[in-house]
Amino acid sequence: MERFFRYILAALITSVAAIQFYQVVMRYVFETSVMGLEEILVYPTLWLYFLGSVNASREDTQIKANVLDVFLSTDRARLVVRTVADTMALVVSCWLTYWAYDYFRYALRVWKESPTLYIPTVYAESALFIGLVLMTIFTARYLVLNLTRLFTVAKPEQGV
Amino acid sequence: MEIITISFISLGILVLMLSFGVPLPYCFGGALMTMVLFGGATMNGTMVWGYTQLSNPVLLCIPLFVFAGSIMSVSGIAESLLKFVNIFVGRIRGGLGVVTTVSCAIIGAISGSGLTGISATGPLLIPEMAAKGYPRGYATALVANSSILGLLIPPSVTMIIYGWVTDTSILACFLATLGPGLLIMVLFCVVNLVMSRNFPLVIDPPKPMPQQVREGVTATTRAIPALIMPVIILGGIYGGVMTPTEAAAVAVIYAVPVGFLIYKGLTWDSFIEAAKGSATAVGAIMVMIVFSLMLSQIFVMEDVPQALVAGVFTITENKILLLILINLLLFFVGMIVNDVTAIILIAPLLLPLMEAIGVTPVQFAAIMGVNTAMGGVTPPYASILYLGMRIGKVQFSEIIKPAMTLILFGYVPVVFLTSLWPDLSLFIPGLFGY
Repeated sequence: MERFFRYILAALITSVAAIQFYQVVMRYVFETSVMGLEEILVYPTLWLYFLGSVNASREDTQIKANVLDVFLSTDRARLVVRTVADTMALVVSCWLTYWAYDYFRYALRVWKESPTLYIPTVYAESALFIGLVLMTIFTARYLVLNLTRLFTVAKPEQGV
Repeated sequence: MEIITISFISLGILVLMLSFGVPLPYCFGGALMTMVLFGGATMNGTMVWGYTQLSNPVLLCIPLFVFAGSIMSVSGIAESLLKFVNIFVGRIRGGLGVVTTVSCAIIGAISGSGLTGISATGPLLIPEMAAKGYPRGYATALVANSSILGLLIPPSVTMIIYGWVTDTSILACFLATLGPGLLIMVLFCVVNLVMSRNFPLVIDPPKPMPQQVREGVTATTRAIPALIMPVIILGGIYGGVMTPTEAAAVAVIYAVPVGFLIYKGLTWDSFIEAAKGSATAVGAIMVMIVFSLMLSQIFVMEDVPQALVAGVFTITENKILLLILINLLLFFVGMIVNDVTAIILIAPLLLPLMEAIGVTPVQFAAIMGVNTAMGGVTPPYASILYLGMRIGKVQFSEIIKPAMTLILFGYVPVVFLTSLWPDLSLFIPGLFGY
């Protein structure tokens, strides 16, 4: 999984930079415009954004404020807050995924094509739905992990 | 229940989820969910609108600037820049502190991000300063505070986002924070020179002139490839040659051979790691942006910003008092959330109020930029200060006093000057016709 994200994300961001640079060279050095290049650029860009965010969910490196943690003194209290946060995140993520699915169905039904190269736009639009499904799975995984840790930590205390 | 009440409840839910440490995209999603389930707002068409916003080519400069900055940071440019700045001020008492501040500002201009700046400079500068007699806590506080200049010296990721969410010229926003950023840099240098008088510093003995010249030439030659990068970016953009997105792509392609062949700090592994790290950071930001934009769109449709303006004007219409209150609000927001979140959350809501009291969107960009930058080193959410503590291996108790001194004498005066003296932020954009 680590290797997959490492190489796919590197490939996506590098290709986005390379395509954009190619456009600069063609436009300013050879003074010619490449038809449809901006259309092509949308596909790796959208997948870059959503797979990047999926990887942040996988690594648990999404941006968080964690204000309550400053006021908590025990690991157990922090774990309880973490579990509540994961539950809230999972509920919202499921709700957003439902609406992304609604959009995905609409995109499949309409089957739009890009204006110059006639590439189906659903290949880019599906990034939203697939990205959110994967983010939801990783959010659920952290919830299960934290719940397990919470009950494992709770057991010795109950026994005392 | 009235829609305005629901809107404020949804903002309350947002703050609650933020406090619990829910990832930011879901915090905005939670507020959005509240508006849809209880406020009668509709999601029909909102996802399509969000997708269209995300496909905007202007936004593409964010991943590219972040990627270029990451490549340069792992390339080992910090050492070359340090030696270059050292030529000018290295031999005066407190000179290394000045070198630190100016180097961080230049690296900020290259990376566009405070976190990238401190990651590049901290491991090098903090031990160097400690070895020369600066207290380690002070050295870490100075590097952390100076790294924030990356958010104010263009190109700045936060200003791209501000320009995008408020429909203001990104180029004008870049220039708006330049004046306050340079002033903060000068104030940090002055504070450092004053504070350095109390430290048992080790001053390098004077070197013969030929040796100084030889070292100066070597350091300058070595620093030139790094110094050219902001020239390419800013010269390309303001010379009217390239768009910010094109300039960012050129910066990436320029950084690769510079890192591999000139500074030689870049390896295949570190390149892939920098690419993956940049993509992950950008993904987290962009998905958060899309949900926050959907929420803002629903607020705008429900006239929430206008209701906010009317509500605030029932308290006072005094411009100075309002600016002070807004700065206090931004200060508290900056204390609990990061710079990007603060801008997405606050800028669209407060801009109508600012325009109503005669503050232009460009000046407001500078006000938001300086306040959110200060938030990066103000606990409890002081991501850059905390990263500095990890890099500098110091405790919170060692860093907090010097950090607060720098904030009090560096940031706070500039926060108020930016609000009350429009020319500080508007003069430079005015020179370029904005």
